[in-house]
Amino acid sequence: MSGPGSAPAVRISIESACEKQVQEVGLDGSETYVQPLDMSQNLARLAQRIDFSTGSGGEDEAGGSPSGRDWGASEPEDEEGLVKFQPSLWPWDSVRNNVRSALTEMCVLYDVLNIVKDKRYMTLDPVSQDGLPPKQNPPILQFVSKKKSLTGASHILLKGAERLTKSVAETQENKRQRDFNSELLRLRQHWKLRKVGDKILGDLSYRSAGSLFPHHGTFEVIKNTDLDWDKKIPDDYCPLDVQIPSDLEGSAYLKVSIQKQSPDIGDLGTINLFKRPLPKSKPGAPHWQTKLEAAQNVLLCKEIFAQLSREAVQIKSQIPHIVVKNQIISQPFPGLQLSISLCHSSNDKKYQKPTLEKSSTEDHLYVLEHNLHQLIREFHKQNLSSSVMPHPASAPFGHKRMRLAGPQAFDRSEITSLQQTEGLLEKIIKQAKHIFLRRRTARTIDSLASRIEDPQIQAHWSNINDVYESSVKVLITSQGYEQICKSIQLQLNIGVEQIRVVHRDGRVIILSHQEQELQDFLLSQMSQHQVHAVQQLAKVMGWQVLSFSNHVGLGPVESIGNASAITVTSPSGDYAISVRNGPESGSKVMVQFPRCQVKDLPKSDVLQDVKWNYLRGPFKEVQWNKMEGHNFVYKMELLMAALTPCS
Amino acid sequence: MGVTCVCQMPVAEGKSVQQTVEILTRKLELLGAEKQGTFYVDCETYHTAASPMGNQGQQGKLMYVMHSSEAPLSCYALFENGPCLIADANFDVLMVKLKGFFQNSKANKIESRGTRYQYCDFLIKIGTVAMGPSARGISVEVDYCPCVIVNDCWNLMVEFMQSFMGSHAPGLPSVFSNKHESVYSPADTMVQYMELLNKIRKQQQGPVSGIR
Repeated sequence: MSGPGSAPAVRISIESACEKQVQEVGLDGSETYVQPLDMSQNLARLAQRIDFSTGSGGEDEAGGSPSGRDWGASEPEDEEGLVKFQPSLWPWDSVRNNVRSALTEMCVLYDVLNIVKDKRYMTLDPVSQDGLPPKQNPPILQFVSKKKSLTGASHILLKGAERLTKSVAETQENKRQRDFNSELLRLRQHWKLRKVGDKILGDLSYRSAGSLFPHHGTFEVIKNTDLDWDKKIPDDYCPLDVQIPSDLEGSAYLKVSIQKQSPDIGDLGTINLFKRPLPKSKPGAPHWQTKLEAAQNVLLCKEIFAQLSREAVQIKSQIPHIVVKNQIISQPFPGLQLSISLCHSSNDKKYQKPTLEKSSTEDHLYVLEHNLHQLIREFHKQNLSSSVMPHPASAPFGHKRMRLAGPQAFDRSEITSLQQTEGLLEKIIKQAKHIFLRRRTARTIDSLASRIEDPQIQAHWSNINDVYESSVKVLITSQGYEQICKSIQLQLNIGVEQIRVVHRDGRVIILSHQEQELQDFLLSQMSQHQVHAVQQLAKVMGWQVLSFSNHVGLGPVESIGNASAITVTSPSGDYAISVRNGPESGSKVMVQFPRCQVKDLPKSDVLQDVKWNYLRGPFKEVQWNKMEGHNFVYKMELLMAALTPCS
Repeated sequence: MGVTCVCQMPVAEGKSVQQTVEILTRKLELLGAEKQGTFYVDCETYHTAASPMGNQGQQGKLMYVMHSSEAPLSCYALFENGPCLIADANFDVLMVKLKGFFQNSKANKIESRGTRYQYCDFLIKIGTVAMGPSARGISVEVDYCPCVIVNDCWNLMVEFMQSFMGSHAPGLPSVFSNKHESVYSPADTMVQYMELLNKIRKQQQGPVSGIR
């Protein structure tokens, strides 16, 4: 196109003919002029006039070319441009749009030229002069060329993509390196680490907490970078990994159970099995924190078990404790065995296999397992506090209270109480005994309560217990008469070996761990309750108690306890009721009638006088099971009511 | 430990120390007291050495270092009418280091050894007081364990002591005189022992009698 850049050989200055444009020529010939534009308006106007579509040759100086052009060259073009750009809001909008499209075209041209220069995918052929060839070009050729150009384009695209992924991977690699360090920092916050050579070793043992277990318990920190970059990175990927000793792998727990003694001890040491369902192992390695915690738990379980088995061998008891493989068996009560076993499942498949076959009753005492953990921690603390600093230079090492024993002149009993160290095993056996005794007591009371309906047994267990002692309050009542029959209230203090029964009146009875003793005692109390209830009822009904005995010496001998008896008379004194109640023989109720009412009384020669008729006659037994009423006390109330004459 | 009374049992007429002890123990056993091993109380005498720094007032004052099997980890150091120090058993080692200031008079070592009995809440210790090989007298210690206030249990203790010592039951020990309502401490027992042992030592200073 013609531009000033082509050849400015001759400089010609151009100026508009008239400085102010004539807007209108009036009829009288006067001319009105358009006010000249100021500088910015003029520039905007000039810009609007640029027609880029015609000036494709001089894009480089797109901005400059119009400056040389005579803006007043063609009026119609000018008008057209004005109409065209009017809607645009921004005067430079069209300029920008045009510049951008020009740039796009330039880029394409540049690329095409590049490709052409390569001469591999595209060549420039002189166009044949005749107009026919394009039409004669076979479609196959067209297709091939299209294909060629497409493959070229695709190659370029692929190359670019490759470069892009490479740079992304590079940044990720950097990020990961940074992640390893931050993970290491986090690890350092929770675990003890130290650097040995070019390795980072950590300590997961409880030694710093006072443990004396000889296991070294070290783990190694590994940088987990051997990841296949091409594959998708798993979500839980962590650049830091830990390697724990092989004997601490997997998971472990201590199983404490109390069973009836098994007749054969053939499979000792093998019964402890992984009944617990293994936690579903997630795909991918677990996080280092969970791994370390599991390993530490295994270590602690091993320590507890080692401590227990050492004590089991050392402690002499009447029935020796048995330690077989990973099981400790002890006999807290005759016929009963407490077994503590260490269940450790490594992740190997072969160890898991046999566990599934066994099916033993699930009687794991979680409370005792928990207490074992608690006890070993107390033990650790004790170890720690014995050597804790600061410490007086002149004092002997040992517990602080022990240190005070000399200056405070502790006597022998105080010192022995300080020195008394009960082992883990002894404590746990005591706890097991208590738990067993408590369970058995509860079972005994419950079975009695469900078996016997008439005097009702209520047991109120206390919620808060000591590990060695718990208590239960037992009430024996009759249904419907709870208010008047409250004579029997027992407090059962269940200890380790025995049960202390505190009666309401302060009597203390000590029962052994035998189930039968408690049952017999409760039965005899229930039988006494009935007689007490009659006594209370008599008071309410206005009857008088003639005699009362908790332990009758007469009549058939009971196998459990003693029978108790009571005799009451009606308010008028005409009738008397005598009750004998035994825990085994049950109740026997007799009624005594006035002599005058007895028809079949043989006439006596001696007692002729009328006054003798007021003497009481013989006793007659009441057929108690045929009496109406839902329980003993109710029946008795009905009987008393029937024998009280209406006045 | 509770309120303790230490007293001397005079040797019975025409009997040896050994025999008198046997009579006493037999009485206790008849009461129903249980034998619980042995006991000892020993007392070493130190006198202050003439040291360049020592002031004249302290000259001649005696210090007693005592041990008791009842408190095996403790060591007592007392002055006559003075303070009583209760210390660790290591105190003996310290005394060796203080040789320059306190000198041990070995010959004055006196001790009481015997049997320990328990009768319900009472602890009774009947010991033979000996200086070197010779028996000098009999000490009787009665400890009423549940109580630490002298006034609350003195009458009971006197009654108990009369039950086996008869007319030889002691009066209120001098240590108790200003302790009627306050808490009894183990040091008071040692003060009583010190006084008793000193008394026996002085009694026998003239006619030294061997084991009869």
